[in-house]
Amino acid sequence: MTRNRILFGIGVLAFVSVIVTVRLGGFLVDNEYRQPDRQVAAQEELGEAELTPRQQGIADEQAADEAEARARPYEEAEYRTVPFVGSRVTVWVLAQLHLLFAAFVLAVPLFAFIIEFVGYVKKEERYNKLAYEFTKLLSVSFSMTATFGAFLTFALIILYPKFTNYLMHIFSPTFLPYVLLFFLEALFLYSYYYGWGKFGPKMHLFLGFMLNVVGTAIMFIANAWLTFMMSPGKRDDIDGDGVPDFVSAVSESGALLSLRDAFFNFTWMPINIHRIIANVAFGGSIAAAYAAFRYLQAKTDEERAHFDWMGYVGNFVAIIAFLPLPFAGYYLAAEIYAFSQTLGIQMMGGTFSWLFVLQAALIGNLFLGANYYLWLGMGRMEGGVHFQKFIKWLLIAIALCFAVWATPRYAISSVSEIAAMGGSSHPQLSYLGQMSAKNTAVNILILSTYMSFLLYRRTGRQSIHPYRQLLTRAQAIVFSSAAALVIFYGVYGYFVDSATRIRFAIPQVYSVLAALVVITVIDLPLYRNAAQSGETKWGRIPAVSQYALIFIALSFTWLMGLMGYVRSGLRQEWHVYGVILDTSPDAYTPNLGFATQVVSVTVLIFFGLIGVVFWLSSLSGKKDYAPGAAGEGGGRLEGGQAA
Amino acid sequence: MKFSVPMPLRLVLLVLGTTAFYMYLGQIVPQKESHPPPPVLINAEMTTEDLVAVGAELASGKGQCLVGCHTVGQSGPLRYPDLDGIGGRAATQVDGLSELEYLAQSLYEPAAFIVPGFADGMQAINQPPINLSDDEIKAVIAWLQSLGGTPNVTLDTDLGY
Repeated sequence: MTRNRILFGIGVLAFVSVIVTVRLGGFLVDNEYRQPDRQVAAQEELGEAELTPRQQGIADEQAADEAEARARPYEEAEYRTVPFVGSRVTVWVLAQLHLLFAAFVLAVPLFAFIIEFVGYVKKEERYNKLAYEFTKLLSVSFSMTATFGAFLTFALIILYPKFTNYLMHIFSPTFLPYVLLFFLEALFLYSYYYGWGKFGPKMHLFLGFMLNVVGTAIMFIANAWLTFMMSPGKRDDIDGDGVPDFVSAVSESGALLSLRDAFFNFTWMPINIHRIIANVAFGGSIAAAYAAFRYLQAKTDEERAHFDWMGYVGNFVAIIAFLPLPFAGYYLAAEIYAFSQTLGIQMMGGTFSWLFVLQAALIGNLFLGANYYLWLGMGRMEGGVHFQKFIKWLLIAIALCFAVWATPRYAISSVSEIAAMGGSSHPQLSYLGQMSAKNTAVNILILSTYMSFLLYRRTGRQSIHPYRQLLTRAQAIVFSSAAALVIFYGVYGYFVDSATRIRFAIPQVYSVLAALVVITVIDLPLYRNAAQSGETKWGRIPAVSQYALIFIALSFTWLMGLMGYVRSGLRQEWHVYGVILDTSPDAYTPNLGFATQVVSVTVLIFFGLIGVVFWLSSLSGKKDYAPGAAGEGGGRLEGGQAA
Repeated sequence: MKFSVPMPLRLVLLVLGTTAFYMYLGQIVPQKESHPPPPVLINAEMTTEDLVAVGAELASGKGQCLVGCHTVGQSGPLRYPDLDGIGGRAATQVDGLSELEYLAQSLYEPAAFIVPGFADGMQAINQPPINLSDDEIKAVIAWLQSLGGTPNVTLDTDLGY
């Protein structure tokens, strides 16, 4: 009551203020200085209009502006600027926001479809409800994606007209299919969402499948535009000497030679793969953050149980996608190196080398957060105590790997410290800053996290498989062998030349991937129909776990922003690498400090907006408004009972 | 009475705190802005000595030779061959190629001969993104010759490319 009166009072006050201001302005203008009446009368006799000095000044200025505009010849602008913020930062923030929402909109249907499919196969309604809960987040996010996409397009046209025109020259044939696919995506998305429960399960699954196909196709087209800017061509052995040659998709002047080579350029597929995986990890983490938000808002045990399970599934999706992400990153980096050593060296050893220390800190936090959440989750089940003794060892392994990964090769030191160390690198610790140590650390991190998941999966369960001892030992041997192989190549890497050392990353990656696959394949039959010591009590988890989920989502978002900076910044002073030079005042790569400020602002804007998405999505679960039912002029009815 | 921070405020603090922490990390690492290399002017009156100086400037700037690729006077695990003494040993690297021919080939066609123990990877420096002009490449060759040899390249020298 009181609150409504205050709000009403503020509204009235604001309205009165506007009226008073307008009236006061009018009064001042009407009563400004005028010439003496006798002189005015004389001018009127001569037919001259009365002009106050102010009006005369305005008229003179307008005349001067008009004359200047007429004298100025038309020139096509190459760049335009945005006051205070600058063109680059404007486009940077808009592009990143568009990308974050787009990643979410592409990822959520992927795992919503999989969860719905699992529910269909298992005939369990709870999966269907969970998939629907995830899908609720889509419609508002889709609008946000489209809005920022349009905003970004206008910003590019206005601020970088010549360069945007050039991209249109190259890619205009792809625009119509893009728009048509976007239209189809809207069609499938809304029919998938609003058609929930209105179609048969097979038809609904088909809609979800098509939504994913169309969404992926849209991303592939957009990826062609941006990867062309980094690698405008392909590599092919055209002279038959066994060494791939660079085949440019455009001439030296920038004219298009082959749309096919421009589209299917060198880094297109590595980016596609990296983005699909990263989108799923990011989407899972944001969906888990939504569940955490709803868990913290929950009033009943039933709600807490539902959103705890949803958060677990979202985080599970995020971590499962996150585990192979470093490998996709290796692949992308290797392809960038293969395309251009200059780009590769710039990325890993030049301007951006310190960025990867930041990246290590972020990914280390993600691993820590994910493991912490899993360990807390063991409390949902009876019998978790048995495995808790392993947690401290896992924590030590993860912390050590984190520390190794975040160790820079060259330390930030004062003059006296440099003198004491005998150089800018520490005599012992700098060995940990080399690629061999870092590759080893990240692979052991992945294995440790997988071990955490295995322990979580076994909590409160006892295998009844007849060969359980043999299979468990086989798992242990596979796990130990993979870890030993990773460490062996890590140490051996210090005793070989650089070309051989770089190649050691491949057996390290394959041994870890093989271990994950083999252990999973053994684990599935091993724990099928396992005896349970107690029921899983969803909702029985400390509230801090939910903040861990939100922290993971934040770190993912920040990581995506940071990697967006390095991917675009790699081109340095080129709009299109090696073809179109950036001649604007922004034709330089900003330092990491500035970049992290922009990324931070972008992340805060995104989380502000995703908070709105969460709030709007949560409205669907609230009771409907019913006038006159209760209280002051209105009340609430249960959902679905609106008058 | 136990004080409890309301949930929305906790969320806001978590978001702001985490973002501020990552941003702080970004401020404490070494900061480097990467600017396009300044233009290097070469004129017809330049002597071989002038070209050596210009070549040194190009190697660490527009030519990107010393930006993470080659080194001068370093040992240990290297990405690409160390250039110390290259002017002296260039004539003996490939049978049938003189010092000048070898240096020119290694810049225009770097994949033609790979120094044993190193991987292929260098791009022709007369093509984008490095895109040095023929005169700029002569300056780089003069600088390479000066590393353990006697520079003799002039702007009139025919490199055969």
